[in-house]
Amino acid sequence: MKIRSIILGAAAGGCAAGMVLPASATVSDEAFNALSDMVSKQGQALDDLKKTHDQDQQLIQQLQQQLGQTSQLATNAEQKAEAAGQTQTVYQAPNPATTTTHNFMVVGDAEVQFGKATSQNPTFVLADFAPIFLFRANDNILFEAGFDIMLNNNANADGTRAPGSSTSVNLSFAQMDYCLNDYVTLAAGDVLLPLGTYSQRGAGWLNKIPDDPLIRDWLPGSGIGAMLQGATPIGQEGQSLTYAIYGVNGPSSGNATNGIANAGDLDLGGNVGSSPNWHANPSAGGRVAWFYPWKVHYDLELGVSGQTGEWSDNRNHRWSACVLDAALHLGPYFEAKGEYINTWFGTDDLGDVDPHGVWVQASYKLAGLQREFPLINNLEMVARYDNEDDAQGTRTDRYTVGYIYYISNTMLFEGDYEFLKSRGPNALPPQMWVLQLSYGF
Amino acid sequence: MKASSLTSPARRILAGVAVAGILGLAALLPVQADDSTNAPAATPPAPKKKISGVELYAIHCNRCHPERYPVEFNESQWKTLMLHMKVRANIPAEQAKEIMKYLQEEAGY
Repeated sequence: MKIRSIILGAAAGGCAAGMVLPASATVSDEAFNALSDMVSKQGQALDDLKKTHDQDQQLIQQLQQQLGQTSQLATNAEQKAEAAGQTQTVYQAPNPATTTTHNFMVVGDAEVQFGKATSQNPTFVLADFAPIFLFRANDNILFEAGFDIMLNNNANADGTRAPGSSTSVNLSFAQMDYCLNDYVTLAAGDVLLPLGTYSQRGAGWLNKIPDDPLIRDWLPGSGIGAMLQGATPIGQEGQSLTYAIYGVNGPSSGNATNGIANAGDLDLGGNVGSSPNWHANPSAGGRVAWFYPWKVHYDLELGVSGQTGEWSDNRNHRWSACVLDAALHLGPYFEAKGEYINTWFGTDDLGDVDPHGVWVQASYKLAGLQREFPLINNLEMVARYDNEDDAQGTRTDRYTVGYIYYISNTMLFEGDYEFLKSRGPNALPPQMWVLQLSYGF
Repeated sequence: MKASSLTSPARRILAGVAVAGILGLAALLPVQADDSTNAPAATPPAPKKKISGVELYAIHCNRCHPERYPVEFNESQWKTLMLHMKVRANIPAEQAKEIMKYLQEEAGY
């Protein structure tokens, strides 16, 4: 636009000059030449301006082209980003925590105990790590194995002290559980025996008192064999009937001489495989129980269980056991449970003997008092009475009072004081106290 | 030795009575706790509702140990634990499924 204005201005200036000059005036050669030079120079300047204009136009076109390419690149990048976003939505990585069909877990508990018995010094008496390995092959098959790993002082064969310590690793149980249908589950391996409920539900952090009832020593905790178990609901309110029936190797004689089965030779947990020195007849057992919850935290369970089978190598002596068990919850704060256990077995030296005993335990969580005193809402008080008669001259009655302080729902600080009335050749100390820190995981 | 152990029938009877006492008390309590026994005779009994998964969870866990928080484990872990507990506590499959439904809804991460 500016260039055109200059050209038009120059032309208009020339015309104006022609009109202003008088027609009669004569133009000298000098003036004509000067004017001619001036016009020539203006034409050259006009050509220069045209060239500059053309160059500017080219530059503008190049810039516009580059702008177009840049816009195209930006559009392509935007489309690619959008496409990538859509791809991520469609092919979102699966969450293995919710999609796996199997799972491996470690649960269990760990305990450390500090205690003192009459005529002994106070000491740390136990450090126990008891993991349970669980592997779920699918929704119906589970492998589970529990161990007890403990530290022990070394000892000589005669029981006297030896230097150092050692670690014991005991297999508490190892079983495969196969849910055949809603009412039958097959358990096979080293199965926890349902003689009462204590073996199956008695891990260290579950027991409200650190040590086991004395009479439980007269029952095997597990056995090599197979078991069918199941439950059927009664109505829609949680009531059920449960059953278990099993065959296991059962107890054997621990006497090194084949064929001898004295009372002291009874080995409840040693018969784990084929051996010419052990009897090969399995024992049979089972449990039936009724579970009745009438509302949440109010329930009653009653069970009866037993086992019988030959235990002597000569197959001339039988070992049998009968257990009555009961558990009661009255609200979230009160629990009572107990077992009556009677066992009997024939022997070479004492004839028939029948170790027996009972344990009854009650506990109350002080949170039920609904007081705002410090610490009180985490405390549970517990009391137990248990006795044991080994039918070989030793009888013990034990009275235990204790507490549980719940540091969390799985970490417990327990303590108890035990008064014992024990007489006979294997009498126990008259008093004992134990502190225990236990953790369930 | 054996004879001395068998001459304590009184202790056995006492122990048996103690256990029987607890069982007897327990047998009475459900009746006392049932509010329907005090209801007017003309009132028809309310239909019994099916117990829910969360109620079954509270009932069965507390039989042996304090309840775990559902968010402590994810869904797959709860499946494993539930199978373990179903066998250990002999829980009916129908009830175990109801508990699992609850845990699937409340499971962590």
